[in-house]
Amino acid sequence: MKRLNRLLGYSISPTDLIRFVIIASLTLLCFIIITYSLSRNLGTIYAQLFYFPVIYATYFYPRKGLYLAGACAVVYECFAYLYVFPDTGGMILVTGQALLFVCISALVAYFSEKIHASEIHNRNIVEKSPMGIILFDKNDYTIRLTNTRFEHMVGYTAEDLARMTFPELLSTPEERLRFEESVASGEEVRSFETVFLTREKEPVWVNLSWSRITENLLSCTVVDINKFRLAKLAADKIDAQYKQVTDSLPTCIVIIRDQMIVYANPSFEVFSGYIPEELLGRDPLTLVHPDDQADFLQSCHIAETGSSPLGRVDVNLLIKSGRIRPATLFFTRILQDGSPSVLINLVDIPEQENVKGRSLQDKKQRGIISTFACELRTPLQPIMGYINLLMQDPETYGVTEETRIILDRCAKSVDRERQLINQMLELSVIDAGKIPLEYSVFSVPDLVRTIINAGGYAADADITIDIPAHLTFDADKNKISTVLDTMISNAVKYSTHPRKITIAYRSSPNDTMHRLSIRDNGIGITDARLDEIFEPFPIPESGTALKFDKIGLSLAIAKKYIKMHGGYISVDSILNLETTFCIHIPKKRPAEVE
Amino acid sequence: MVHKILVVEDDQPILDLMDMLIRKLGYEPVLVANGFKALELVQKEPPALILLDIMMTPINGWEFLEKLRGEFGMRSIPVILFTASPLIDEKMKEMKDPNLGVLTKPVSFSELKAGIARYLG
Repeated sequence: MKRLNRLLGYSISPTDLIRFVIIASLTLLCFIIITYSLSRNLGTIYAQLFYFPVIYATYFYPRKGLYLAGACAVVYECFAYLYVFPDTGGMILVTGQALLFVCISALVAYFSEKIHASEIHNRNIVEKSPMGIILFDKNDYTIRLTNTRFEHMVGYTAEDLARMTFPELLSTPEERLRFEESVASGEEVRSFETVFLTREKEPVWVNLSWSRITENLLSCTVVDINKFRLAKLAADKIDAQYKQVTDSLPTCIVIIRDQMIVYANPSFEVFSGYIPEELLGRDPLTLVHPDDQADFLQSCHIAETGSSPLGRVDVNLLIKSGRIRPATLFFTRILQDGSPSVLINLVDIPEQENVKGRSLQDKKQRGIISTFACELRTPLQPIMGYINLLMQDPETYGVTEETRIILDRCAKSVDRERQLINQMLELSVIDAGKIPLEYSVFSVPDLVRTIINAGGYAADADITIDIPAHLTFDADKNKISTVLDTMISNAVKYSTHPRKITIAYRSSPNDTMHRLSIRDNGIGITDARLDEIFEPFPIPESGTALKFDKIGLSLAIAKKYIKMHGGYISVDSILNLETTFCIHIPKKRPAEVE
Repeated sequence: MVHKILVVEDDQPILDLMDMLIRKLGYEPVLVANGFKALELVQKEPPALILLDIMMTPINGWEFLEKLRGEFGMRSIPVILFTASPLIDEKMKEMKDPNLGVLTKPVSFSELKAGIARYLG
């Protein structure tokens, strides 16, 4: 056989060999019959006998069949001519019959090619399919055909499978019953998840879909979902462990995504008095005291953008009973179900301690403020008053021009002292929560222009105002004015020649906040000091400390004023290039002051 | 006629200063360091305006004001609270007194002038 293969240059299967023997025998038989009939002078009626080998051969081997038909035609014609020559009619008949061989063979070859091509095509699809394919009988579940992918999946050979029924592959009797019921229902089924047992009795998760292709035959595609199922099982296990840990923690945990509570552990439910249905999907801001909402939002925002590893803020929370409970919140950025979320760890501040502490602190603070004010301000009054008096009427008091200059310098110092004391007191009063906001709607560009004119800032710097002409704020005009004045005067003070200051409004209609930025081309602020500049009493940094000590308390006050509005001030700085302060305040005034 | 301005203040250096400043402004100062004495004086000879300190003994500025407006029924005399405390805004709003003003210590000559002129213009 192998020698024959080598001889022919292509492979011959056992099937090919059998077919060849049949064709050869049929052709030989035709010759014998024809020779015998001719020798007995029985005429040429048996020419049609050649059709059998020709059609048979052509069906299986279209091209070779055609050659055979040609060869038969030539042989037949040679033989027949010997008998019919010179009879013209006979010769035409013989030639026609010989040509008919070839025509019939060509016709069979054409259709055979077509049938084979589509068969090969389908076999290719089945064999090369990334899914397992199995054809089975819907009555007795015998397996008629499987592809290599499926055989690999279950570890059986095609021969093994041909002797098996489909349900034998399933893992448990219950699954078999479920499968048989599903098939018996007669409907096409998609996504039937079950477990196969491989030859080695290993379970494999699969997803089956089947449809009918003939009356009794069903074609079933098999997708291996083993890896997916195992991963899911592992993930479920981790999830369950995670849930167990968070559920049993004594500290409260809340997870927020898209401004909604997506998880709250039982400890938080106990803390807040709300049941899970009331918490899930709720806006967390509704649980935060209005005074602390700005801090809460800012911490959330910082955690979301991941700019700081762990944020912390003390807030008062509103619980279901309507009471206020203080707590320390720690913010962490996490991935929950694949989406960035914020995990809040809540530590309860014991209430009693806090209330006692607060009222005591409040009383103490008021005492300190009043004493402080009287002790510091009162002695300034005579100094200021007498200097004013002397300068008011220099002739009466015999004040010379030189003395007047000295007095003027004293007056300036006293005024600065007064301002500083006032700022300190202002700060304490804000801290004690004694200043209410007086809301009104006012024009921002007008206010900015007024501030610039009153401070004479335009003389020192090139100020660009990029604010929509009709922009209004609904806020406490005096406080916003103080804040803007601080920002602009600082920008002038700390920028370098040629001073360039840009005041711009940066907020889109969809924003809930107004954003007003003030940019200067100044000395800048080091990152380490960015937060510190808003502190009333920062620890001086060597070298640059002197440059900042003159800021005094105005930024601390500005920060608190904006915070009272429910907003915040952000600052960006590039050292020795520029600094941008941005005021963010809510477009809508808080509900309780409406 | 020169307006009389009563200064109720228990801090002597400030009383001395006010004496000079008020004269300079062209009014006649009446200086009292004790609230009770001041009340007596007001009854005898009502001033055109009272400059009133708050942190005083034996009665403080609020008590003085209460007696003045209540017991003595002198609601029309303008009173300027002359104080160093920043915690009086709330209380002032509560009183809703149209003849009540405030000047915060330390006050400059021009501020004092404007403050008094509001009532005695």
